[in-house]
Amino acid sequence: MATIKFNEVKRNIFVSIGVILNLIFLITIFYMFGEISIHLIKLNEFLDIYLKIDKLSIMFSLLVAILWIFTTFYAMEYMKHEGKEKRFFTFFLATLGVTIGIAFAGNLITLYAFYEFLTLTTFPLVIHTDSKEALKSGKKYLIYSFIGATFVLLGMILLFSITKDITFNAHGILPALTKENRSLYLLSYVSMFLGFGVKAAIVPFHSWLPAAMVAPTPVSALLHAVAVVKSGIFAIIRMSYFIFGAKIIKELHVNIFLSILIVISILLGSFLALHQENLKKRLAYSTISQLGYVLLGVVLLNEDAFVGSLLHLINHALIKIVLFFCVGAIMYTTGKTDISQIRGIGKQMPITMGCFGIAAISLIGIPPTNGFVSKWYLAQGGLTSGEMIFPAILLFSALLTALYLLPVITEAFFKKGEHTIVKEAPMKMLIPIVMITIIVVLLGLFPNILITFIQQIASEVI
Amino acid sequence: MSIIQSFPLVIILVLLITAFMMPLIKNTKIIKGISLVSMTSVMILALINLDFVHKNGEYLYRIGHFNAPYGIEFRIGIIEAMMGLLFTFVALMIIWYSIYSIEKEIKQSKIGLYYLLVNILIGSLLGVVYSNDLFNCFVFIEVGTLASCGTIIVKDKKENIKATLKYLIMSCLGSGLVLMGIAYLYSMTGHLNINYIHAELVKCYLIYPNAVLISIVLFIIGLGVKSAMFPLHNWLPDAHSSAPSSSSAILSSLVLKAFVLLLIKILYGVFGMDILNHFSVLNIVLILGSLGMIMGSVFAIFQKNIKRVIAYSTVAQMGYIFLGIGLGTNLGVSIAIFHIIGHAVTKSALFLLAGAMIEQTGHKSLAQLKGIGREMPLTLGLFSIGALSMIGIPVLPGFISKWHLSLASIAAGDTILIVVILLSSLLNAVYYSPIVINGFFGEENLQGKVYKSKSKPLKELMPVIFLVISMIYVGIASRGIINLISLGLM
Repeated sequence: MATIKFNEVKRNIFVSIGVILNLIFLITIFYMFGEISIHLIKLNEFLDIYLKIDKLSIMFSLLVAILWIFTTFYAMEYMKHEGKEKRFFTFFLATLGVTIGIAFAGNLITLYAFYEFLTLTTFPLVIHTDSKEALKSGKKYLIYSFIGATFVLLGMILLFSITKDITFNAHGILPALTKENRSLYLLSYVSMFLGFGVKAAIVPFHSWLPAAMVAPTPVSALLHAVAVVKSGIFAIIRMSYFIFGAKIIKELHVNIFLSILIVISILLGSFLALHQENLKKRLAYSTISQLGYVLLGVVLLNEDAFVGSLLHLINHALIKIVLFFCVGAIMYTTGKTDISQIRGIGKQMPITMGCFGIAAISLIGIPPTNGFVSKWYLAQGGLTSGEMIFPAILLFSALLTALYLLPVITEAFFKKGEHTIVKEAPMKMLIPIVMITIIVVLLGLFPNILITFIQQIASEVI
Repeated sequence: MSIIQSFPLVIILVLLITAFMMPLIKNTKIIKGISLVSMTSVMILALINLDFVHKNGEYLYRIGHFNAPYGIEFRIGIIEAMMGLLFTFVALMIIWYSIYSIEKEIKQSKIGLYYLLVNILIGSLLGVVYSNDLFNCFVFIEVGTLASCGTIIVKDKKENIKATLKYLIMSCLGSGLVLMGIAYLYSMTGHLNINYIHAELVKCYLIYPNAVLISIVLFIIGLGVKSAMFPLHNWLPDAHSSAPSSSSAILSSLVLKAFVLLLIKILYGVFGMDILNHFSVLNIVLILGSLGMIMGSVFAIFQKNIKRVIAYSTVAQMGYIFLGIGLGTNLGVSIAIFHIIGHAVTKSALFLLAGAMIEQTGHKSLAQLKGIGREMPLTLGLFSIGALSMIGIPVLPGFISKWHLSLASIAAGDTILIVVILLSSLLNAVYYSPIVINGFFGEENLQGKVYKSKSKPLKELMPVIFLVISMIYVGIASRGIINLISLGLM
């Protein structure tokens, strides 16, 4: 791609065909083969690049592939004012491939390899503007990612020294917990959890995420919605349920301590979001808090919570991508980035801001939106685990979510602004926004198909 | 006795004889031709020899008329044969690269001398690797030291002379210590042949515990100086950064490695595990290795000259090798040898690429090499692959060494070493990634740079491309290579 000199139209066609073919190809694989596994290169018992498709990877890869298509069309228009589109689309497609690789990874080493590649392919996207500030943020992103990967490697080595096997398997693969291996298990789990947690923006390691907001909006949207942060969470799910298994983690009692960290993420993310003037930054901190929900569902280790967690993974992806696209559309047409600047913009860009409103309400979790459904399951999971505190935290955080998102809507719709005439964003940007919003609404009204599928996954692993 | 068994001797003789033909010839083109042809032919010989050893197992080759213990003999096992192939292959690539660019770094009149020195150097290094006789090794060490000093000073700049003097003094100190160690061994056992010394030493080490301990330490320090074991490394950054790029590549990827191999040979061949465990001296190697891994990288972070960064990175990478040796297990030593191979191909490629950048732009400092990725995309692209291996991206050899070293240290019961290994790889990322990032990205960095304006012709980069390909191959074929090494260590 990088070597062929396309003109703009040809390049756009090439990219769109690429991403659409990717989706079609994925769906065909799922229909034709169902759950399959391929050994790509087997170097030795550990260095085994091994792909295996199960329901969880189907879910994640479909989510990625579908959102990528929308983002592609959005980016074609948006990137016009950022320039250097050739470089952008090269790494954009590479990132898609790597993310699908993460979804299909059949053992920990493959996951780790793709996880490292993800850092390398997203890095040029983050520093797309090439300004000093971008390079600084990019450096931060790289340092955090490498430190995270090092923790993962540490955990992986410790694990491998016990098991000699790191293939994913539902219910985990570890031999039973004994007194001797307890501390090694504990160290390995915590180190991998924190390592993958860097990409999932757990609180002490979150600060790269707001910094990475200097990237162009489609990139931020993807980083937040699917590619990077969700890969981190996906990896944590894989590691927790497919390597360790719920039973051993429960016996380790490690999930209680981690849940404290996650609760801090939820609350701190929301509180910090309240203070952000910059729209993108506000959304970034909101992501930190929402990812906390997903992780909470993961560490509660019961079926309801896990269902809620996967649901929220999908819902948050869809909602956040709409929110980012809307903010991007405002930036593209008006060049405005702060909340105080967008007074009265709801009159001039009704569709964009309407979609923003729907997405915001969904994220707060008012019934009958999809955000409500996932939070409902999460709260139930919290009750099942016998802790009243978790539903309470979810409610409190929903309140905070309302506090940081609703002002945007009130500013846009109910306050009078300067009377500059602004039109809606071009169709290529508007259509993806509207379509994803429709998906969001539909998932809120008819969540059952998705829930049934996710419950199947959950019943297999817990 | 098969004719193939004599190939190691033939290899050394070919190199030495062609070396002394060079001063007789005035035409530099012919000199370069001879150098290339001789190196290619010895590489083929080394390849055939490796195949032979792999099939028929190791053998002892007698030189001259006397049998050991009086005469000299070569001991060719799988590891020695592999090293023979590695050394000749890397040297061939470096020479191939240098024939296009050597005029830019040294005077026309010195070219004959330069290729003479390179051939002598490679010949003597192979002598160190092959020989089974300690005194014979010592002679080859001295020849190699002088030749490697020559390859640095041939550039005739003030800094070269200074660096060479430093190197020469440290090196002579090292050889002196080695000689003393040999003398101790000789006085205790009356032998110079490794196998015979070992046989005698096992019987008598409890009688002379102090003398044995002293000789082990003499060897560790003496060879440690020559192979840049931290904190005896201080000659290396000056020497490696001031030398012509092709010399830096040879020095960093081969010369250091030959001395480490000799150290392995002495520790495990002459003394053996029992004696080493009895005196627990391996811990010195282990601790110094770990220190080197960290400190080498820390020093590299603060360097401003690209070649000095790579030179300090060598100190850190030698730390990995010493760590493997210091673990004192079969796995540890296998990984140390694997790392010798991986590092030899990687570091030679990195030095040659850095040399290409310096040659095309005229700048040495990292600050001035920003934006180089636009001017020389292929060069920096290849550099990035090498850097990724150093940082430890899976499948590349750097990752494999790290992974196995970590497992080996868990197996040896030193779990804390994993932290050292991982910290060191993180530090590698700290100084390699800015070179790549500032090269390819950044508005300010790319300002005024014209795409591909300074790139080298593809033909001149071919040897480096081969080195990078072989590096990837070493990573992919790591299972086979490591198995082969452990087979050779048995």
